[in-house]
Amino acid sequence: MTAHDANHSGTQHPTQNPTSQGATPVVRTRRAVVVGGNRIPFARAGEVYTKSSNQDMLTAALDGLVARFGLQDERIGEVAAGAVLKHSRDFNLTREAVLGSALSPETPAYDLQQACATGLETVLGLANKIKLGQIESGIAGGVDSASDAPIAVSEGLREVLLDLNRARTLGQKLGILARIRPKDLSPDAPSTGEPRTGLSMGEHQALTTAQWKISRQAQDELALASHQNLAAAYDRGFFEDLLTPYRGLSQDSNLRPDSSLDKLAKLKPAFGRNLGAAATMTAGNSTPLTDGASTVLLGSEEWAASHNLPMLANLIDGETAAVDFVHGKDGLLMAPVFAVPRLLARNALTLADFDFFEIHEAFAGTVLSTLAAWEDESFGRTRLGLAGAFGALDRSKLNVKGSSLAAGHPFAATGGRLVATLAKMLHDRGTVEGRPARGLISVCAAGGQGVAAILEAR
Amino acid sequence: MSYPAANVLAGMPSLSKLYVNAAATAAKSRVLGLNSPMTLPADCNEVRGVLADLAKMTEYQHLLGKAARDVMPSGFIHALAFPVAMSVMVREEFPLPLLGMIHLKNRVQHLAPVLFTQPVTIRSWARNLTSHRAGTQVELVVEVRAEGSPELLWRGVSTYLAKGIFLPGVDKPAVAGTGPDAAHGSFTPPDPTGLWHLGVDTGRAYAAVSGDFNPIHLSVLSAKALGMRRSLAHGMYLAARVLADVGSPKPDAFSWEIAFDAPVFLPAAVAVHIADTQTDDGVWVSSQFVGWNARTGRKHFSGTAAVL
Repeated sequence: MTAHDANHSGTQHPTQNPTSQGATPVVRTRRAVVVGGNRIPFARAGEVYTKSSNQDMLTAALDGLVARFGLQDERIGEVAAGAVLKHSRDFNLTREAVLGSALSPETPAYDLQQACATGLETVLGLANKIKLGQIESGIAGGVDSASDAPIAVSEGLREVLLDLNRARTLGQKLGILARIRPKDLSPDAPSTGEPRTGLSMGEHQALTTAQWKISRQAQDELALASHQNLAAAYDRGFFEDLLTPYRGLSQDSNLRPDSSLDKLAKLKPAFGRNLGAAATMTAGNSTPLTDGASTVLLGSEEWAASHNLPMLANLIDGETAAVDFVHGKDGLLMAPVFAVPRLLARNALTLADFDFFEIHEAFAGTVLSTLAAWEDESFGRTRLGLAGAFGALDRSKLNVKGSSLAAGHPFAATGGRLVATLAKMLHDRGTVEGRPARGLISVCAAGGQGVAAILEAR
Repeated sequence: MSYPAANVLAGMPSLSKLYVNAAATAAKSRVLGLNSPMTLPADCNEVRGVLADLAKMTEYQHLLGKAARDVMPSGFIHALAFPVAMSVMVREEFPLPLLGMIHLKNRVQHLAPVLFTQPVTIRSWARNLTSHRAGTQVELVVEVRAEGSPELLWRGVSTYLAKGIFLPGVDKPAVAGTGPDAAHGSFTPPDPTGLWHLGVDTGRAYAAVSGDFNPIHLSVLSAKALGMRRSLAHGMYLAARVLADVGSPKPDAFSWEIAFDAPVFLPAAVAVHIADTQTDDGVWVSSQFVGWNARTGRKHFSGTAAVL
């Protein structure tokens, strides 16, 4: 009996068959290419970027991109970026960053928010506009600060302040002020809890991790590989043209090159302790709260050529999925399990056709649960509507330059990091067996969502 | 079916006055040593032209953390009608003391959506006075109709237990009772699908939106005065919260029932598990739910919501 069977015995669910619900292949009028990317090093929350706002960090990442590709005074077709934790004053975060940058002030911009998939979704949205001929160039990006998070006043105080603003007479105002109670003065900080369940993201993943019987050791091994791969990539200078130092930081502060399985094994479980599930998730195999920003430069082939810019990879296609996690039909972070099979079916590809896999490491358990679901016969049949398991991927192709467990995960900035890293890896690899090297990105997000994308080397 | 004769009240009774009257009645019977009547009032209490207070309804909806729609939540209709049910329980000929009664279960048929703009007629009566091994239980029926229409919109049956009250001549129940004393059976908590962090002010907050200022919910002191060690969450708050979590919008007609086990002393972390049954096409049929103390694993409540 598989973990899936155990959890869904006796209940019939419609499948999310990869071919029956996906869109039909698009008419591709032209290609969208990844020119390059730039990010600032990611810092653990409460460290060097503690006083840096989203506006500061996005501007820093954008400045570096403008400098690297000579975009001073360039009117870019559109800039799209976002932040998951956003101050209300930052309603036009991206446009403000553009106005504060060396880009032409005639560059339009919009904000986007899709939780941790924000960054990848900005890439897909702008790539689609380029493919359709609506824009020639685009800059996608994302930023998040867990240190400089917005804190709201309590609901009671907020109502008093709003009512006070509407009051006309002194008597009314005094009456309203008299409603303030001591408890109204305590602030309301953002939490990582899912609004509909009250469980934190880590608690949700702890349930999924237990459901798929992912061992503590397997999670620690994945975390260790992430640190080792990221450290090796830094040592080889891989990030030199992908990163601009900021506030004295020149590499991700969460990186522990000297981490070991012994050290990871000593950490106490951080999630799932009260849930009755086996507690295997620690601070070591979960991503820490992080601050940082990333950007990606996209363009049409014509635009890149006319500006004498490199072309690292083509953005082939993308797919978004969502799962019904609220009552546990699927795990909160398992939507990519459905997005990827749909995406591959539409493009007539299998997991064996890829040379690199970038699966966002929200938690080691997320990556391993995703792989387990794809390898599960019963899940493939009953939930994906396939003849059997979706397939197994070659683990030596997975997150080979490290991922979020080592680099950290400033929510909206992760998509840009993944796209720029993969595009460069693909370009470096060139062709494989006579075809362009191919890579897959998968990002899970709060609210039971997930986004996947295919890139090919040029 | 035939209905008891209606005793039409002039307007909506005030819950706070009803609680004061209940306390006075309790004191009087203790002082005078009055014997309780042994049968239920034969007629029902009825209030016509009841209109929901939109501000209160919005507060209620926001307290439960879900989007505020114009249709009244099922639990809100219960709160709207509750003073009528209470007016039955404080009648002189009602045989059980109102204060200290324990809410055992609820069964509701929500037959049609009710907009907050709809004036309604609310009718309530008591029935099925039976013995429980911990005392005597009684059912309070509440029916809600659109003003001037015979069509039933909402019907609820609440079962209450007067602990330690044994009335002569009341039949023993055929089946074992539910409630606090049945809660000690073997219960193994499933994996939770949700977790509620209920602060000490949960009772006061629900009292403010529902009007149910029963002292056992308001503060440690007022609860202790009635023999509780701490204040506890309203059963109807738990029911409304789990109904909100079951999902919305629900179909136009649905039913739900909840049985309460161990009381939720505040503050509390309540873990819940909701399991859905769907048709092959993914259409919602029903949900089973259970809630328990996240720390001790003691069951607080369980029940079902289903399409009608």
